[in-house]
Amino acid sequence: MSGMEIFQIWLVAFLTLALFSFMYRDNPIYKVAEHIFAGLTAGYQVGLIWHTIILQRLWDPMIGGRWWLFVPGLLGILMFSRFSSKLSWVSRTSLAFVMGSIAGIFIISELHGRVLPQMQATMLPLWNSGGLGQTLLSVIVVVGVLSTLVYFYFSHEHKGALGVTARVGIWFIMVAFGAHFGYTVMGRVSLLIGRVQFLIEDWLGSFL
Amino acid sequence: MDFWQRMDKLDRRWIYLAVGIAVVIPFLAPLPLPISITPEARSLYEAVEALPDGSNVMLVYDYYPSTIAECEPIAVAALHHLFRKNCKIITLSNIPLGGPSMAESVTRMMAAQYGKDYGVDYVNLGYKYGYVAVLSGMGTSIESIFPTDNNGTPLSELPLMDSVKNYRDIAFVFEVADNATADYWVSIVNAQYGVPMGCGGTAVMAPKFYAYVASGQFVGLLGGMRGAAEYEILIDKPAVAVKGMRAQSLVHLLIIALVLLGNVGHFMSRGRKRQAQA
Repeated sequence: MSGMEIFQIWLVAFLTLALFSFMYRDNPIYKVAEHIFAGLTAGYQVGLIWHTIILQRLWDPMIGGRWWLFVPGLLGILMFSRFSSKLSWVSRTSLAFVMGSIAGIFIISELHGRVLPQMQATMLPLWNSGGLGQTLLSVIVVVGVLSTLVYFYFSHEHKGALGVTARVGIWFIMVAFGAHFGYTVMGRVSLLIGRVQFLIEDWLGSFL
Repeated sequence: MDFWQRMDKLDRRWIYLAVGIAVVIPFLAPLPLPISITPEARSLYEAVEALPDGSNVMLVYDYYPSTIAECEPIAVAALHHLFRKNCKIITLSNIPLGGPSMAESVTRMMAAQYGKDYGVDYVNLGYKYGYVAVLSGMGTSIESIFPTDNNGTPLSELPLMDSVKNYRDIAFVFEVADNATADYWVSIVNAQYGVPMGCGGTAVMAPKFYAYVASGQFVGLLGGMRGAAEYEILIDKPAVAVKGMRAQSLVHLLIIALVLLGNVGHFMSRGRKRQAQA
């Protein structure tokens, strides 16, 4: 292992332990690591946007003959007028363009790519030829979707049959929250495992 | 002060310490805990296995360095499987922070193991800002969106890209994601261009992605470190995720015990308060 690799491992180990030290209590070493992270992220982002957007997608093609890119460039510059209270209205032109184009793109792709396929996947036959287990799953999906939708129907008071269905919907929502939370715990523990694995195998391993 | 009152006032740092110990133990003394294979992981494996050898596959590194522990084992396992089948791999990322460099380092490391050449067997397109425009634009021409690869080499100089012009030339998309970019791969690439997709995501994202498996938009799903471990077992290359899952299982047992303990303590103290009021 080269000297540079060992230095990198020690630096990463120091930053990992510095951030973990917050679990005991807030302290200056944690603050140093936190500020390094925030500064690096901001600096990297600025450099990346400068090279991959301003230079690659705007400036270079523009001076290479695609002069019409001056228009989106100007729209981008207009966004900076928001820093002035007198001129901030100018930025609305750019915002209107962004909102219009994004809405146009997303309405089609969301409807075609997500809403309709998800609705289709919910319209299941209640009796499934795959057996009793599959039939039960189909029933759960249909009941779950309908009762959850009823829970979010607020035009009538949740009383009688509507109230009972809404309460069933709450149970489905709670089960979904539980599943999400369980997976979130698993995800966070995985991240801890990754760091511990690094500390044991790479950092402590570098001593051997 | 009895046991339950003491538990009620327990400093949370003791719980951090217990979780820390539970994570460390399996690395020092491996525990033989079983890992079963879910139908979602198996169907993703089978979909990749069913691809003709030499197919063009897009492997997408849509994750930040913060989720390497979950996502990198998925990417590594996918590369083992794809390189073993001699698939031609095109990697890219919609994540500015670390995505392209992780794609570069992980793919190069795996390519070296399988003796694959850059430009012929795999290409890293890198990152371009604006994923909606990027995903839509590649449907017409990949070269119009990525005139060069991650290292600045024009795509016209890379032999693999001679036969890959747009999504029509891609047999499968393997998305590794820790965020909502997977939604756009579904709504743009899968829905509009009909490219089959599979996904390996972080555990946090997995519950949401199950809906795409149910609707058939994902052929399969790997959920977090657990999913990575399943894929490692399926391709017969147990590695970091399988090792990590032992710690994961032990921590889960600890958390279940703590939840039960907390609830028993809550009901005990509630009962005591009621008795005192009576």
